[in-house]
Amino acid sequence: MTDDTPDDGSIETDGGHATEELPAGEDHDDHGLPPMSSVKRWFLTTNHKDIGILYIGTALFFLVFGGILALLMRIQLWAPRAPGEGLLGPLAYNQAVSAHGLLMVFWFISPFAFGFANYVVPLQIGAKDLAFPRLNALSYWLYLFSGLLFGVSFFQKATFSGGWTMYAPLNIPAYTPEVGATTAILALVMFVASVTVSSVNFLTTMHRWRAEDLRLRDLPLFSSSILLTVWMMLFAFAALLAALIVLSADRLLGTTYFVTQEGGSLLWAHLFWFFGHPEVYIVFFPALGVMAEVFQTFTGKRIVGRKWFVAAMVLVALQSFVVWMHHMFLTAINLQIKTLFMATTIGISLPFDLMVFALIYTLIKGRIRFTTPFLFSFGALLLFIIGGITGVFLGAVVLDYEFRGTYWVVAHFHYVMVGGATALFGALYYWYPKITGKMYDEFLGKVHFALYFVGFNLLYFPMFLAWQTPRRVFDYNPAYTPWHRLATIGGFILAVSFLVMFYNLYRSLQTGADADDNPWEYSSTAEWAISSPPPLENFPGLPSYKGGKLNFVSKVTGGATDGGEVTDGGTAVATAAGAGHGTAAATAHEEEHASHASFWPFLLSLAGFLTFVGVSGINKGGLYTPLAAVGGLGVAGSLVGMAREPFTVPSPELAEKWPFDGVEDMKLGMWIFLASDVVLFGAFIGSYLFMRVAEGWRNWHHLIPADHVVMPGLINTYLLLTSSFAVVLAMVAAERGSNKGVVASLVATLALGIGFLINKGIEWQHLFHVHSEAFPEGWELSTNIASSTFYLTTGLHGAHVIVGLLITLYMIPRAWRGAYSGNDKPIEYFGLYWHFVDIVWLFLFPLFYIL
Amino acid sequence: MASTKLYTAIYVVLFVFATVQALVEEAGWLGGSDTLYWAAFAVIIVLSLIKAVIVAGYYQHLKWEPRSVSYVIGTGLIAALALTIAAAYSIT
Ligand code: HEM
Ligand SMILES: [Cu+2]
Repeated sequence: MTDDTPDDGSIETDGGHATEELPAGEDHDDHGLPPMSSVKRWFLTTNHKDIGILYIGTALFFLVFGGILALLMRIQLWAPRAPGEGLLGPLAYNQAVSAHGLLMVFWFISPFAFGFANYVVPLQIGAKDLAFPRLNALSYWLYLFSGLLFGVSFFQKATFSGGWTMYAPLNIPAYTPEVGATTAILALVMFVASVTVSSVNFLTTMHRWRAEDLRLRDLPLFSSSILLTVWMMLFAFAALLAALIVLSADRLLGTTYFVTQEGGSLLWAHLFWFFGHPEVYIVFFPALGVMAEVFQTFTGKRIVGRKWFVAAMVLVALQSFVVWMHHMFLTAINLQIKTLFMATTIGISLPFDLMVFALIYTLIKGRIRFTTPFLFSFGALLLFIIGGITGVFLGAVVLDYEFRGTYWVVAHFHYVMVGGATALFGALYYWYPKITGKMYDEFLGKVHFALYFVGFNLLYFPMFLAWQTPRRVFDYNPAYTPWHRLATIGGFILAVSFLVMFYNLYRSLQTGADADDNPWEYSSTAEWAISSPPPLENFPGLPSYKGGKLNFVSKVTGGATDGGEVTDGGTAVATAAGAGHGTAAATAHEEEHASHASFWPFLLSLAGFLTFVGVSGINKGGLYTPLAAVGGLGVAGSLVGMAREPFTVPSPELAEKWPFDGVEDMKLGMWIFLASDVVLFGAFIGSYLFMRVAEGWRNWHHLIPADHVVMPGLINTYLLLTSSFAVVLAMVAAERGSNKGVVASLVATLALGIGFLINKGIEWQHLFHVHSEAFPEGWELSTNIASSTFYLTTGLHGAHVIVGLLITLYMIPRAWRGAYSGNDKPIEYFGLYWHFVDIVWLFLFPLFYIL
Repeated sequence: MASTKLYTAIYVVLFVFATVQALVEEAGWLGGSDTLYWAAFAVIIVLSLIKAVIVAGYYQHLKWEPRSVSYVIGTGLIAALALTIAAAYSIT
């Protein structure tokens, strides 16, 4: 092994070496995956690089979709208009505004970033794939179908038209009665499912699949930013899920959360913005990571104050959860809390300042190469600075009284959000050679940037000048007409810039020069150490950072084979030990028969899509109900199919797993999922407590019939506790290898769970039909806020019980056949879930039956 | 991991605690003065908390896992509490 590479990457790197010697690019044996040219591959693949490409392509599709809606709005705004004038009618305009916002925030920007995350993060951390490749495919298909579901909503009278923030009470059927509005909400539910699955997957992978000696703090900055983003996503989206489930229940089941006079609309604002503020950082962090990475590569300079930069990101990620009420300064919340949140908002801008300065100093100290990715990242920094400063204005309570609901806000968040997207377009150019193996056309790239930057500022800057225009309204003071015309022109220039981009990407794929493994002189992360595009299983041997350098360990010889790259978190190693190559590749092949193909994620998502379409109109009857039933069966069938499919994912033997050493992948995944479920239930219970405080804590009793007594709750507590104990016994039996014991305990669990549901059914029937003086019509979901919270919260818990019972139902026959004797792991994982459901009940019982 | 005996003892404790919670209601404290109500409230919630910790610690084996797993769950809990408390406070 020779180390012929000086520090700081000031060398011609040797990445190309590996390609020639290895069966790289297209593996000769793609483990059952059809070649990339085959359409079938894209439905089957579970490989992170394929899925990254799918994400990127799909996100760009939704960019175009959302962009066209934006152009329609800009045409409407060419002149101030009365309702009925212009291209769009009032309802059409409201739909365009709402759908544009939802599509861009949810279906474009984050998935675009996660396309890169999918492709690049495993490469940067030295993993062969994500920890759960099939779940990764599932995330993608759920994402795609949730977007298609959103598309369907346009054809059901109208899609949602209450703005992307979906404020109450506009979000309830009294104001948005169309079926399509419900479908749009359900599309978001499905999208959140995709996000949750993907969060669990990324977190497990990034914590347990890092190459040997790659400490978390040494992660390349893009990967760091993604790790923090995913942690925020895990918790923030759980709160959004709670909000969306409640909203769906209000729309479909007749609960009354958001129509409740006392606190209803505030409840939505709290839930939405508790998610929504972290969401803006979820959107922005990946862009920040790209900026840091691209600046390093094209200045040849490590980022100044790297440690502080990372610390600031961690701080912002934490703080992002305690600033949400700055979106509620004009609501009825009290002045003390407004002041507090003004302070936290100022607090969060401080670490941001630090990051901005670190980026600027890096530029000053380095030698800049003005490539297209650099230009986009640099542009992003400028835009972000403008967006950030204007945000601080909004964070001041008194100023926000003026700015709230105006184009100032519109301009602010477009500068930050589309500013972030700017860096991501840079990322597209930056990683294009790696992904495609072709160079893009640098000249066209620069033309794209010039048009983009001019178009962007022409579009959004006039909005600051015409800030007194009320947002979401197409009638405005004619004095602002010139500004709005300028904005419309800017919008079209921005749109044209993308034509240049698409042409460039397409042409370069056909005729571009072949890209080196490492086309950038000073790139320093592991993805540039392997061929462009990388082979299916990424690395020639096991990546390791032992000794501070990336090298590839062959298991047979125990030596390093090839590296050839400066890596972030270490220095370079380039090896001429050609002999090692063949060995490493060969062993990799013999030992790991990793699976890479499954059809079930696609089928499951398709079935989920049909189910949601059915559910959207379930109250309308007709074809909707059977569609929901068929979809539901498809979901169940696909889940069973997926569970039964043999699918091998060899866990890396040599890996850095801090801080989760000793917790297997599956178990960690389960725990991370449960953490998000804690937030889901927490938000439900929080909503109940909030509405009860709004009503007057002890007045609440007037909303509840005397027939609602403790006993059924107590019995159910006993049943559930006993069932938890039965699961513990099942595990003990499995440890002892007692087949009979496992089966008996699981059957007991099932029986007790069914008992729980029957008891609940009897209780509910009784309450539905009470006839008391206070409740002559019974106590139903729609009776009042107490009944709504009771049925929906315990109902969500009941749904968890049902899911658990379906799993036991699946496990019992397998236990019968001896699948768990001596292997108690599956039972332990199930137990984690089941005991969690038990714990939730331990709180629901006192809150809904006693207090 | 724990012995079957310990698991059983825990089960009994959980059972008893749930019963005590119901008995507090039975005793009529909740219909009493505000002081009495909130005292009963505290007792009941604390009992639930203890139960939850026991189930998580022993049945879910958190006691034997790396502390970091507990921190992950704890973070979720803190997030939910922050939302609930700040939101409830905002309308007082
Ligand atoms: C220095 C940092 C920032 C501060 C102090 C800040 C402050 C604010 C405030 C106070 C509002 C509420 C305005 C109102 O509705 O009256 C707001 C709105 C918004 N901000 Fe920021 N912001 C910052 C950075 C960001 C970033 C980085 C993003 C996203 C990448 C972002 C996205 C948004 C969005 C989307 C809205 C509008 C929400 C709506 O539709 O009502 N902000 N910002
Ligand atoms: Cu915010």
